[in-house]
Amino acid sequence: MKIITCMKWIPDTSEAELSIASGGKDIKKDDLDYDLNDWDRFAIEEAVQLKEKYDGEVTAISVAPEDAEEMLRECLARGADEAFQIWNDAFEGSDGFVIARALAEFIRKRPFDIIVTGTLAEDDGGGQVGGMLGAMLGVPSATLVSRIEIADGKARFRRELEGGLYENIEMELPAVISVATGLNEPRFVSIRAVRKVASIDIPTVDLDELGLDESQVGHSGSRISVEKVFLPPEGEGAEIIKGSTEEAAARLAEILKEKGVL
Amino acid sequence: MKNIYVLAEHRKGTLRDTTWEALAAARTLAPQFGAEITCILLSNDASTISDRLVQEFSKVIAIEDPSLETFNSDACIKCLVSILGDKSDYLLLMGNSNSVIELAPGLSITLDAALATDCFGFDVVDGALCALRQIYSYKVNALVSFKGAAKMVATLRSGSFPFTPTAQAGGSVEKMESPLKSEKLRKVFVSYEEAEKGDVDISTAEIIVSVGRGIGDEPDMDVYQSLADTVGGVLACSRPIVDKNLLPKYHQVGTSGIEVKPKIYLALGISGAFQHVGGIKGSPLIIAVNKDARAPIFRVAQYGVVADINDMVPALEEKIKEIKG
Ligand SMILES: Cc1cc2nc3c(=O)[nH]c(=O)nc-3n(C[C@H](O)[C@H](O)[C@H](O)COP(=O)(O)OP(=O)(O)OC[C@H]3O[C@@H](n4cnc5c(N)ncnc54)[C@H](O)[C@@H]3O)c2cc1C
Repeated sequence: MKIITCMKWIPDTSEAELSIASGGKDIKKDDLDYDLNDWDRFAIEEAVQLKEKYDGEVTAISVAPEDAEEMLRECLARGADEAFQIWNDAFEGSDGFVIARALAEFIRKRPFDIIVTGTLAEDDGGGQVGGMLGAMLGVPSATLVSRIEIADGKARFRRELEGGLYENIEMELPAVISVATGLNEPRFVSIRAVRKVASIDIPTVDLDELGLDESQVGHSGSRISVEKVFLPPEGEGAEIIKGSTEEAAARLAEILKEKGVL
Repeated sequence: MKNIYVLAEHRKGTLRDTTWEALAAARTLAPQFGAEITCILLSNDASTISDRLVQEFSKVIAIEDPSLETFNSDACIKCLVSILGDKSDYLLLMGNSNSVIELAPGLSITLDAALATDCFGFDVVDGALCALRQIYSYKVNALVSFKGAAKMVATLRSGSFPFTPTAQAGGSVEKMESPLKSEKLRKVFVSYEEAEKGDVDISTAEIIVSVGRGIGDEPDMDVYQSLADTVGGVLACSRPIVDKNLLPKYHQVGTSGIEVKPKIYLALGISGAFQHVGGIKGSPLIIAVNKDARAPIFRVAQYGVVADINDMVPALEEKIKEIKG
């Protein structure tokens, strides 16, 4: 079985203090740490588990700048057989449509049975690439998938609905499956495992190999564009309890007492 | 834009609120563009569902087909293309439900439309529609334009567009031929499945101590269980805690977990993503401890402490013990 998995390299913003970059169209990213998108960590794991279960090969792909090579190397250490890095500086500022398009152009020339992606990424939260990629390649797609089995050339999977409800679906292959977090336990990658794959070449792929030109990617190729970003006002909402740990803890305990729960 | 289409969403034979929220958004936008609002209903039994729709929509376009009983994105794309394929100058609005999350991206490609997902508001800038979205772990707001596209699709965050029924539309239903008859679907529904139930039921708990990713990769869960026991509450969590198998799924609060309505919800190291907060709307008192002053949880909490939970949790438990004596 030929399995392709698409990975995104994103800034970790969950705990960082964020500020707006000049121009007002993005945040300042220079000081942020970048990492593999959490949803995609489940995607590469699922791709590798499918390979282990049904035999096959895993190809990891990312549209990402040079620095992201370490992420693709980590994917090899996690069990991918090969990895490709698609990039040209013109990709800067691309929306989900452009990323899906670049991936589709690359994948079009390669046979595959299943493409595994994360359902969304925590930077732009768009959740667009998986479904768009499927439509561009003319294959069906599914998102928020939380269990996968393959039989008789079909994928039988479970996808998440709201409120603890799931639906079981059967889908023809080839197809794109975008996974939900939590469907597996991503393996631990040791430094040794990364070293073992240190010599594997990760080819870079440029625009001409995709048959795209600069105007078709980045801001100009995107279908939506960010006009302005802004931080919601701080402290709007909660009354912030100040003071030392001791004082704040005492105040919280008092509030609990006032509410009659102690 | 001349037309605003609203996709009616239903599950197990009943309309979902996402339908009405999308109509609410359509009603605020339509006058600004002089646009007409039309509902699109794709179902196995249009007549039952459309009774309610025609009270609010003056026009409903319906396609009836047995395979539209459940939300099948493959079938829905085919139907929507048969309705909208030759149209231009429109905005299609749908709730950003877990079903639509699957439908919207592929649909936008097939319709050749610009797509903005999970929008919580709209703005009109120089006569053009722009959407408001949240980015970067839901901490930053972004105003996004459709770049002048003549075909636009937007999916809407639930709870962002409150709906007031008028029940005065007296609309009519136009049935269209199903395009599905001759075609084999690549995807078929097999069955529904419910998440496993456990020994605690957080949905009825009065006091909830809830932990998020802020507890770290290798947390000592006993510390949090102990705090929950001391306040006489139950332990719950955000999704990443379940994803990491630190607690079973029936402890998860949120849109894909369980909706809770305790008297007190103590959120520890939880950022307050919309899907989490969606599960605690019924809680009158939310208290949050988070080391990031900009964490969205502070926007829904009544009280907040900007602190490290590793310091705060033991200190709080001690104070509570002192009070209880
Ligand atoms: C379709 C869909 C459904 C979803 N359903 C759900 C759902 O049902 N429930 C749910 O919870 N999520 C759900 N999510 C995920 C949701 O979007 C968030 O990713 C998730 O809620 C984040 O969990 P968190 O707050 O624990 O983690 P994070 O967002 O990573 O936040 C961790 C927080 O802890 C703080 N922190 C870190 N260390 C400390 C410390 N030592 N002391 C104090 N604070 C600290 C950080 O500042 C940060 O704010 C869903 C997502 C999607 C797309």
